[in-house]
Amino acid sequence: MIAALKYEWRRLWSIRATYVVSIAYLGLVGLMAGLPIFYANPGYAISWKALYGTPAFILCAVVISVIAAQTFGHEYRYGLIRLTLSEFPNRSTVILAKSIVLTVYVLGMTVLAWAVLGLIGALAPDGTVTAGGMNTSPNGAQVSALWVVPAFTIGYCILAMSVTMITRNLPLGITVPLLLAAFVEVLLSGLLTLVSSHLSWITNNLPMTNAMAWIDGQGSHHGVVFGCWVLGMFAIGSALFIKRDA
Amino acid sequence: MRVDVNNVDKRFGKLHAVKDLSFSIEPGRVTGFLGPNGSGKSTTMRLMLGLDNGAGSTLFDGKPLVSHKPVTRVVGAHLDAKFFHPKRPARAHLRMLGTEAGISNKRVDEVLELVGLTGVARKRPGGFSLGMGQRLGLAGAILADPQVLMLDEPANGLDPQSIQWLRDFLRNYAAQGRSVFVSSHLLSEMQLLADDLVVIARGALIADETMSEFLARATNNTVLVRSPDVVRLASVLASQGIEATIAGEGSITVANVTPDFVGEVAFQAGVQLSELVGQKASLEDVFLELTESGQDYQVGGAIPAADTTDSQANS
Repeated sequence: MIAALKYEWRRLWSIRATYVVSIAYLGLVGLMAGLPIFYANPGYAISWKALYGTPAFILCAVVISVIAAQTFGHEYRYGLIRLTLSEFPNRSTVILAKSIVLTVYVLGMTVLAWAVLGLIGALAPDGTVTAGGMNTSPNGAQVSALWVVPAFTIGYCILAMSVTMITRNLPLGITVPLLLAAFVEVLLSGLLTLVSSHLSWITNNLPMTNAMAWIDGQGSHHGVVFGCWVLGMFAIGSALFIKRDA
Repeated sequence: MRVDVNNVDKRFGKLHAVKDLSFSIEPGRVTGFLGPNGSGKSTTMRLMLGLDNGAGSTLFDGKPLVSHKPVTRVVGAHLDAKFFHPKRPARAHLRMLGTEAGISNKRVDEVLELVGLTGVARKRPGGFSLGMGQRLGLAGAILADPQVLMLDEPANGLDPQSIQWLRDFLRNYAAQGRSVFVSSHLLSEMQLLADDLVVIARGALIADETMSEFLARATNNTVLVRSPDVVRLASVLASQGIEATIAGEGSITVANVTPDFVGEVAFQAGVQLSELVGQKASLEDVFLELTESGQDYQVGGAIPAADTTDSQANS
């Protein structure tokens, strides 16, 4: 297992795309928090918690999910999966190693993002970032607790990785979760509301709708629904990865 | 290390790609793997490595591959010249592949030098030629100095010098007591390289024997004889029930006899010989003879002459 973790870590950090995406992610988080702070109208003030909640925004998650999609996407796009599985024939080990490394990467990036946000807060004009500031993040969310930020990002990335495992297609791994959040679920919710109020249970159990509600501090049960979707997709992806030819 | 392939079988929907194949790869020998296009060679290799799911088993020293640790010390595989990330430098690619066996950077550099890629070690392989890709793939396969080498068409895209180097390398590798299993379409090259042969067609086993046994299957081994009195020699041979065919002025070919036999007959008949050459069937001859009916994707026969009628009419 240790060898599989080392292999995955080396795989991750031996391509330029990882550095580019990481810098883009930190830059986006910094930009989203910095713009309103440094170019704010007089009287603008946000709380530290709201500032640190900035990464829990769908756009930030999309950027970091590129790494998640590449976890399996590159393997299939370039035939590397056959080298990987020649080295680690136990496929469960490969899935576990990739999931752990991805989780560690996302946690590390969240910490770095918070470091960037801390720096922005420290450099912010007096009174802009204060304990008494508004609790709404620059992305419009009211994060109930800071642990939600990495938890959402990890969940979103595992979802993107699972889509890639299922489809064996890197672009789909990046776009499907985004399309669900920004288009499919919005459209579906609207249609279902028009058709019948009895179908609201479907709307109430859509993955990204619940993820957004969870981030927005509307209750941890939304996080549970989102988590179930992530685990379900991960289980399907893992089963297919183990069953199918490499 | 001995490799036993037992009843390996694979279907893709209605296509029965590999049909209950069983054979062994012996240590200290180069085993060639032959078959026409689409005969199931690559699928068999993938099944052996557990990359494809199918029936049967492949045992490395009596144990499945997954039971060995580290796996890369047991088997090194090179299945395609393009299995790399185009933007991951060659050296980084090998460092990644060497993780499981704990390969040092020094060994990575050694292998890069061995395959002649030191000059492009830090370059991205996206721009590599097919031959360079083959070298990188081979470097990955031999990195952990495995007991078994499995190579799928490793000579494709290599220049003649590199092919000769590869042949010497693989023979030397096997001479150290390790097993080499290699598929190739270059039959003349395979004849020089392999000790044993596994031949398949349409997924089924056709031959699993030594190279000499395989070549002995040939039905068209002939002897070329040149003599000033070739007519008398032919009649002497005919009197013994052996048919000779005119091969040219002053020469005949005699099928299914040895040169020694023809020489003896000529000596006893007092016929002077100018030339006596045994013409053995090549691997290509035997292979084509055996696999003729087992080709899935046959070429379309004679190339039709270009129809120039229109162009001539137009001009």
